[in-house]
Amino acid sequence: MIEAKNINFYYGDFHALKNISIAIKPNTVTAFIGPSGCGKSTFLRLFNRMNDLIENTRLNGECLIEGKNIYDKSVDIDALRKRVGMVFQKPNPFPKSIFENVAYGLRVNDMGNKQFIQQRVEESLKGAALWDEVKDKLHKSAYELSGGQQQRLCIARALAVAPSVILMDEPASALDPISTSKIEELIHELKQQYTIVIVTHNMQQAARVSDNTGFFMHGELVEYSDTKKMFLNPDKESTQNYITGRFG
Amino acid sequence: MNKKLSQQIAFIIFKLFGILVVAILISILGFIIVNGISVINWKFLTAFPNEGMTTGGIFPAIVGTLYLIIGSLLFAFPLGVMSAIYTHEYAGKGWIVKTIRMMTNNLASIPSIVFGLFGMALFVNKLNFGDSIIAGSLTLGLLALPVIIRTTEEALKAVPNTYREASLALGATKLQTIKKVVIPAAMPNIITGLILSIGRVSGETAPILFTVAAYLLPQLPTGIFDQAMALPYHLYVLATSGTDLEASRPMAYGTALVLIMIVLTMNLLASFMRRKLEKNRSK
Repeated sequence: MIEAKNINFYYGDFHALKNISIAIKPNTVTAFIGPSGCGKSTFLRLFNRMNDLIENTRLNGECLIEGKNIYDKSVDIDALRKRVGMVFQKPNPFPKSIFENVAYGLRVNDMGNKQFIQQRVEESLKGAALWDEVKDKLHKSAYELSGGQQQRLCIARALAVAPSVILMDEPASALDPISTSKIEELIHELKQQYTIVIVTHNMQQAARVSDNTGFFMHGELVEYSDTKKMFLNPDKESTQNYITGRFG
Repeated sequence: MNKKLSQQIAFIIFKLFGILVVAILISILGFIIVNGISVINWKFLTAFPNEGMTTGGIFPAIVGTLYLIIGSLLFAFPLGVMSAIYTHEYAGKGWIVKTIRMMTNNLASIPSIVFGLFGMALFVNKLNFGDSIIAGSLTLGLLALPVIIRTTEEALKAVPNTYREASLALGATKLQTIKKVVIPAAMPNIITGLILSIGRVSGETAPILFTVAAYLLPQLPTGIFDQAMALPYHLYVLATSGTDLEASRPMAYGTALVLIMIVLTMNLLASFMRRKLEKNRSK
């Protein structure tokens, strides 16, 4: 269960997120849509505190995961990020082997011995539907893979540390249509075990993969509801306009 | 004058100057090679100077220069790399970083003879190391420091931020991220900087003049508190203060040739590594 309460976020003087509250159920896929610069990625990056890396930002409000405010002073940020995995817009594997990419999170978090790591890498690659394509070249550089495979590798890397939530920041925007549909299938599979929050520019994608959709504009959460309802019968006119492509 | 003609004349002038630069370099190299090649043989590289430095070899100077390279980099490499990691990865954008960066640039522009004087005052006299390999190494290390800091910072800058984000997002600490992702990715460029500073260190005369260099030693140094001979200073001695300058002139050219070869090899190695790295990255 993820809950944001009255979130306000500032980049310097710029008020990027305006009083946003939202509740996300476990084992669902939630999509954030909206025009560029609407704050959807900023909002996503609050949940694993990636915005902490940006200087001169300020946050008000509460962000709860499993009942605990992740911005509380007592929170161990590294442990939080292990629980809340992230997949980025552009595939960003490390310049290491395929195996070492997936094993990385296990190693830095001191999870298990050699045998466990081996087993976990295999499971994660299977979980990301990549195992069959890479099982014979685990020790080759990750950069020998295609863009779509690299992105699935990044998903496997995120799965390896056994998170409960996976954040995806436009995970398919740099990929071709076939790779994109593979990622979307994968999101469907992963929903069984993980809570997924995905930011996307692509409204068809949001409609295809998500259970709930939030529409952002100018730093506000304009509408948040069941995906079907959102696309068939939105409450707000601006949602309707955006979805039907009248702007954005 | 018509436009086309003046353009043509301008380009001819530029071209001439371009050729002139290459010609200067080639004539220096050619001059040293032509004059020095005749004395270069196995004995020259492995024997001690003999008969008032008019025969024999330059072995102790080669060894001394190697010691000074190793000694100075043992000191400057870790210090420079760590300081660059601090300024680039930890310190943010505040005034501390700006000050450190400004000071680094200033350090790079201090004349090397001033380093020599400072090294003498601090290491030789104040810390009482005497004229010694340790004093010379530390002085040369100070000289290499800004080069290493700057190339390391550039190397860190070239590591895409997406690597750092990916690592942190997996629950790695900042230190783990730097150790396991950022440094390995930056390493080839850092090594390039290291090699360039070897070139710099091996050729400098002024910093070793008052801190380590010996005119002539009957045996190799046995410890870090011994004096040592070094190629650049030996060259100076051969050219200005031997017993028979005419007779030791070929030895001077031979020494110059060895020194230039060491520096050129280092520079070629550095550019070779950089090219190889760029190829790897584009994969």
